[in-house]
Amino acid sequence: MSRRGFIRRRPFSTLLLILLAIALGWAWQERVNLRAFPDIIGAYTAKEYCSCRYVMNNDAAYCRGYVKQWLPGTLADDSAAKQVTASGMGRTHSAVWIGERQGCRLQP
Amino acid sequence: MFKGLSLFALLISLTAHAETWPTAEWSSAPVASSPALQALEDYAFPPRDDNTRQGIRTDALLVIRDGQVIYERYAGPTRAETPHLTWSISKSIMATVLGVANGEGRFNLSDPVAKFYPALAQHPAITVADLLHWASGLDWQEDYEYAPLKSSVVAMLYTRGHGDMARFTAEHAEYAAPGQAFRYSSGDSNLLAAALKTMVGPARYPDYPWTALFEPLGIRHAVWETDASGTFVASSYAYLTARDLARIGLLMQRGGRWGDRQLLPEAWVAFNRQPFADFTADQDEAVPGGQWWLNRAVDPSIKPWPDAPPDTFAALGHWGQALYVIPSANLVIVRYADDRDGTYHHNQLLKRALTAFAGPVQP
Repeated sequence: MSRRGFIRRRPFSTLLLILLAIALGWAWQERVNLRAFPDIIGAYTAKEYCSCRYVMNNDAAYCRGYVKQWLPGTLADDSAAKQVTASGMGRTHSAVWIGERQGCRLQP
Repeated sequence: MFKGLSLFALLISLTAHAETWPTAEWSSAPVASSPALQALEDYAFPPRDDNTRQGIRTDALLVIRDGQVIYERYAGPTRAETPHLTWSISKSIMATVLGVANGEGRFNLSDPVAKFYPALAQHPAITVADLLHWASGLDWQEDYEYAPLKSSVVAMLYTRGHGDMARFTAEHAEYAAPGQAFRYSSGDSNLLAAALKTMVGPARYPDYPWTALFEPLGIRHAVWETDASGTFVASSYAYLTARDLARIGLLMQRGGRWGDRQLLPEAWVAFNRQPFADFTADQDEAVPGGQWWLNRAVDPSIKPWPDAPPDTFAALGHWGQALYVIPSANLVIVRYADDRDGTYHHNQLLKRALTAFAGPVQP
């Protein structure tokens, strides 16, 4: 009876509480994916720029356009070490050129 | 008698020379310009905008007819000597490497994969043939850009799976019994790459794609990236020049034979080109064979590329990469690209290429 009263007195709060519960439930279900999600931009950018530049031997300006995303990020290319470091969504990753046959690999 | 013998020798040498093969380089016989060729170039090479990355952006178009280069053009940053990223064409290349191992008697199509890759012990019924058909039954999500949160392939290449991609795949649950349902999966291809390590032995494995396939074909500039466990990223990361990829196309066009040597068993190539039985029309843009894409299905009403002959088959990759093989027209076509939208269509390119280059088509 009192629960019904709460719904009547606070219909919008009730709706918001239900939506919040659904959102939290979804976030819990997707917790593994959500934790990894911010890593995508930095890892993708570092790996694919490294391969564009040092495996395909394209020029630096082309490779920057090649990996460009709609989210902001930074990219640093250490051409002496053939190591590329990129960040986005608060996470940083790097990829390094290993050899003629093995190309580039994302660092752990 | 002597005269008869020399005539016989002449006939033998004529037959031998009737088939052209590339040696260190491809021989070249460029076709003359024509309205049909112009129509192909207008389609493949429209004005290119690398800033917006919109529209068709072909990096390379190379056409081989009867074992000779008849057309070749590069655009953007790509040159004849560029080892271009092939993306998922890598899957068909790995299948070809596996074909050599199959010819060496290293495994059978019906072998359970767990025999070679113990991490798959949770899924003991998956066979090599099931993986080649992308029919492992593992609950894999292949979407790239449109569902990045749930995408198995993005997680495999860039986040949770990149250290050991086959193990990441093996940890997926089952959604269907193995061999029963097609679901395109980069994970299935990387399980094959992991199984190959045991099939040929860890000592031979790091050089195996080169010793088994690339060197016999005269491919000199291949790169194949590995994950941190040393497994080839068979799903995505082989790099070849257009001319080198065309050698694999010619090998497939000629039934797995390279010169005098039957490099792949004929039965292997037949398996590659046999449509997976339980494929339905809405499942993908082309018909899955054994890690190759086909223009025919068990259901005769399915014609992915209606303007190309039914014997056309292809290795296809993200962003417009393609290796088309059309045995009935003696054509091999390599197309590299950086298409970022859906404006490019295989059928449109094949239609124009066939009009420009196909001689009289053999039955």
